[in-house]
Amino acid sequence: MAKTTLTALQLEQFQSELDALRAEVAADLGERDATHIRKVVRDARLYAVTGRSLLMFGFDPISFVVGVFALAKAKILENMEIGHNVLHGQYDWMNDPSLNSQRYEWDIVCTSTHWRRTHNFEHHSHTNILGLDDDYGYGLLRMTGAQKWTWRTLFQPIWYSILAIYFQWGVAIQDLKLGRWFKGRMPKGELGQRAAPFIKKARSQMFKDYVLFPLLAFWNIPRVLLGNAAANLIRSLWTNAIIFCGHFTSDAQVYSKAEAAGESRGAWYLRQIHGSSNLEGSRRFHLLTGHLSHQIEHHLFPDIPAPRYADMAPRVREICRKYGVHYNSAGFWQQYAGVLWRIGKYALPIGRRPARA
Amino acid sequence: MQIAHTTPRSLGFSRLLRSPWLRPLNDPTAWDQLLSAINPMWSTRDFPARVLRIIDETSDTKTFELQPVRRWPTHQAGQHVVVEVEVNGRRLQRSFSLSSPPNGGIVSITVKRQPGARVSGWMHTQVRVGDVLRLSAPAGDFGVAPGAAPLLMLSAGSGITPLMAILSELHAQRDPRAIVFIHACRRPADLIFGARLFELAKQWPNLDLRVHYSAQQGRFNALSLAAQIVDFHRYQTLVCGPRALTDDIDNLYQSVAAAQNLRSESYSGRVLPRSAASALSHPVRVTNTKQLFTASARISLLEAAEAAGLQPAHGCRIGICKTCQCTKRSGSVENLRTGEISSEPNELIQLCVSVARSPLELTL
Repeated sequence: MAKTTLTALQLEQFQSELDALRAEVAADLGERDATHIRKVVRDARLYAVTGRSLLMFGFDPISFVVGVFALAKAKILENMEIGHNVLHGQYDWMNDPSLNSQRYEWDIVCTSTHWRRTHNFEHHSHTNILGLDDDYGYGLLRMTGAQKWTWRTLFQPIWYSILAIYFQWGVAIQDLKLGRWFKGRMPKGELGQRAAPFIKKARSQMFKDYVLFPLLAFWNIPRVLLGNAAANLIRSLWTNAIIFCGHFTSDAQVYSKAEAAGESRGAWYLRQIHGSSNLEGSRRFHLLTGHLSHQIEHHLFPDIPAPRYADMAPRVREICRKYGVHYNSAGFWQQYAGVLWRIGKYALPIGRRPARA
Repeated sequence: MQIAHTTPRSLGFSRLLRSPWLRPLNDPTAWDQLLSAINPMWSTRDFPARVLRIIDETSDTKTFELQPVRRWPTHQAGQHVVVEVEVNGRRLQRSFSLSSPPNGGIVSITVKRQPGARVSGWMHTQVRVGDVLRLSAPAGDFGVAPGAAPLLMLSAGSGITPLMAILSELHAQRDPRAIVFIHACRRPADLIFGARLFELAKQWPNLDLRVHYSAQQGRFNALSLAAQIVDFHRYQTLVCGPRALTDDIDNLYQSVAAAQNLRSESYSGRVLPRSAASALSHPVRVTNTKQLFTASARISLLEAAEAAGLQPAHGCRIGICKTCQCTKRSGSVENLRTGEISSEPNELIQLCVSVARSPLELTL
């Protein structure tokens, strides 16, 4: 599927239609959104307490499995529907310090400060621009022909599996810019400086799941250790799968720096749509993805409370149809198969030509 | 001389309780939300206060009698509190003068409903007896100083609220000073605390009460004061009212070199209409670094700050990433991306897409 080219006039109209949609929803924000996010915060805490209690006090395999899934759900809700969205400032209008983008610290080894830089700024402004958007392959995977191929790329299905298992660590070290360090392009001492907040946070996260809660369980130490590790693994695999479906599906487009230089907001909108892809599913599914299943709407309006994306999606799709812009949306398995296919395909030295300028 | 000293270490146990290693077991927000879900008065954030009584003062003014939690610090007559309410999912704050003297636990605020104002409108229509409001600690240094000089109290409209608290306290303390109390309002129907004032004037010979109805007698200003009280500069004077009045009285006292006898408090200024404001530049004060810069309404606050040599944190510069978000303590800004005007105190704004619409105070 190729990119749609719009004339300057069309781009302007395209932009004002999307702006109008945003303004309409922004004006309607209120009680409903506040109630939603507070309910999810309560639910996430309830799942965490339930999961940890079952692991701590249970002794049978059934309570173990239920406990692991409850804890995994708590972690997924906290990271995806609460943490990610709160850090985008989606609930800043509530003026509630516990839901404020600059103050929230989420339950994951990546610090909020790192995330606000690599994700909110670098990834969301420069979405899918090769060389600027570090999320495009995470400096590890070759997802398009325009990226460089080396013999190590051949093994990228293996690298991908490791990344999926340790996804929170992959995200956490992104801002360390290890690539630059390996190539000796980082001044001495900078790595230590960059790593200090990450190491501090990682230490307390590890302490919580692998020392504090196991110790509190006395005789159940191994059970809690194993249960916490399993919950963290489930969270990693799930968030990784959802996030990879956001920009690496078969139809998701990439951009060169030249293509995106000096673009208008209309062109910026267009790039967000071309570079993102949606997942279709039930309301529960959308909630568990933190509404990243509406990746297109999220990239157009990153600071609108995520549950609103479901209402906005048909309108965005309609605007896209009107301007002939491809709206990339399909079920989870179909999109994820596309992602895995791409990882396999570009492991091979094919399509080694630069992106069209 | 420099004295090296160590900060006193808090008790080992309470330090342990706050240790980051114990998170999430010691998350104060989570415990606070749990406690306030059981009973809103158990909240540990701010000072919850239960509404005991709601009294209609005039058609657009109500007094709320409140019982704050016991740990609320007792106020002094003339002080104000910040009340936080949640209106349609948004937490909004507004300062109100306390209209009751300090008397063991129960306090009053008196709220005039302003057309279009979200907080006072919400207080008038939504608050019921038994509800819980959130108060800050009392603050402010408006009040009577000890001394022998006679007192002159002047208020207009809802500016009467702190003066009522002061007057009631003076009465309770049997203060021997002579008091001239002048209040200006539009019509008799708009007179707040009317019955109580006339009652006090009847039984208290020290009190000389004068009510000025501007619908009949014209707007009350510095000239009206000088005409009524020729030796006004000899009085210890307290003024509370709209900015136009307090500025006028300030000038009057300065012109006779009696500014040291005057204390005034005014409501915050109005938002300038957009057309009038767009050509102006406004001073911006950065509260945490004590820096000052001027923001032209033609460029974003981020650009204005950078032009003045400041280096606020920023990212995308197009209103997406919120890296440049900061707290606006006071004043009005317009968000160019959404056209929204923010004029509430303590709201979050994005520097890169906001322009100044009034003098500002920011915390960067």
